[in-house]
Amino acid sequence: MDNSGRRTFLGICLAGLGALAAAAVGWPVFRYLAPASSREAAGKVVIPEKEIPEGEAKFFEYAGSSAVLVRKKDGSLVALSAVCTHLGCIVQWQKDKQDFLCPCHAGHYSADGIVTAGPPPRPLPKIPFSVAGGNITVG
Amino acid sequence: MRPLKMIVDWIDLRIGARDILKKELTGYLLPRNINGWYSLGSVLLFAFALQVLSGILLLIYYVPDADKAFKSVSHIMNDVPFGWLIRMCHAVGSNMMVLALLLHMLSVLFMGSYKRPRELNWLTGFILFSLVQGISLTGYLLPWSQLSFWATTVATNSANAIPVIGPYLVEFLRGGVLVGPPTLGRFFALHVAVIPAGIAALIGAHLFLLKRTGVSTPPFGQQQTCNPWQGDSYRYEDHPDGIPFFPDFALEDLRAIAIYMACFLAVLFFDPYLFFPKDAFIPANPFVTPAHIKPEWYFLANYQTLKIFPNELIGLSLQGAAMTFLALLPFIDRGPERHPLKRPLFLACSVGGLLLWIGLSIWGHFS
Repeated sequence: MDNSGRRTFLGICLAGLGALAAAAVGWPVFRYLAPASSREAAGKVVIPEKEIPEGEAKFFEYAGSSAVLVRKKDGSLVALSAVCTHLGCIVQWQKDKQDFLCPCHAGHYSADGIVTAGPPPRPLPKIPFSVAGGNITVG
Repeated sequence: MRPLKMIVDWIDLRIGARDILKKELTGYLLPRNINGWYSLGSVLLFAFALQVLSGILLLIYYVPDADKAFKSVSHIMNDVPFGWLIRMCHAVGSNMMVLALLLHMLSVLFMGSYKRPRELNWLTGFILFSLVQGISLTGYLLPWSQLSFWATTVATNSANAIPVIGPYLVEFLRGGVLVGPPTLGRFFALHVAVIPAGIAALIGAHLFLLKRTGVSTPPFGQQQTCNPWQGDSYRYEDHPDGIPFFPDFALEDLRAIAIYMACFLAVLFFDPYLFFPKDAFIPANPFVTPAHIKPEWYFLANYQTLKIFPNELIGLSLQGAAMTFLALLPFIDRGPERHPLKRPLFLACSVGGLLLWIGLSIWGHFS
């Protein structure tokens, strides 16, 4: 093997070792910095039924984000993501109008999460839930 | 490689980058008989960079609040992916950095590199040493464990021995009569902002002085081992027949860093709790002082000195005198000879001092 060939070979070996070392340092640092929500499975949230009277809404944390449970005037329940689909602000429940308002850009959603006015491009995503023994289990 | 060359050409045309690289790397010549001990400065720069990086990463999850600090450290260790690795890198790294710093100082001492015209190099290095001790002491409190709490109580309490202002100084250091939440706030600010900024500034000054005076020639393997500087005018100590910093000595530096990393990783993976007594795993309790609370290994000699002398002021004064003597050594030891074997008084005193320090540390550990 001539000198230039040997140099190239050693250069490649060195670059390979360097890349390995960089990966050995980079991977733990990336995992350390990775957000908790992406590594934790969404847990279940249990809320007593009596905490949500008719026409009221309850906000809570779910899967690392914000969610809301609404008991409509007819007594039915809806669980929704509380994150506005426009630019990610948290919607507010307007009890008198029985709808959601996003204070950032005046997006309106019905109690079922359907867009009724403003810029939101999609309805609020629904979250599955079940009711048993006086408790609402979300997730 | 062509785009890279174009970028380098573009920069070179504007600031003469190739000239700087040539002057500072391939054209920067070092003594032909330079040895591996001269790489300890680079090892320390690397170790400090590692501390800064791991420290910044720890700041993401650490909470400097007395009610939450211990929990946040436990969270880093147990829940955050690779949090244990980052935290242990920081804790083990601080101990290893102090060890490398002591070796660096010893090599400078024995090779007489502190002698004129390098008094300022020694002085800035000595202040750096004190700042590293300071950053270690303040960092020790942050996990808010029993060890942190009581080691800080003992360390800050020693200032009580200073006449007149002692009690007020202790209260000032702690931010209250006892160690408590205000102490954590102060020590946190010192640890993550004030002292690191001081260390960075002094590293800059230390390197500037090194560049202005030039690297000293090791006294080994030379006929002439006396200091050539006459003190009549400024002179850069050059080495026209020396070896280039790049690639020759840069590879030596890399080798020294690799050896340091091997030792560091060996401790990290095979004995990570080497520097952790059991009290480091118990949350701080201001009402229960654990038995046999001890400082870090590099403060054991100071701790034992304070124990030996019944009067705290005498113990503290002796330590202060020893530190002052060491800081002013280049102004006291003014002889031109640099070879340690041709300086019997220096050799006897330094070896005796070193043995005394080791002896006091071992005594402190087992006392």
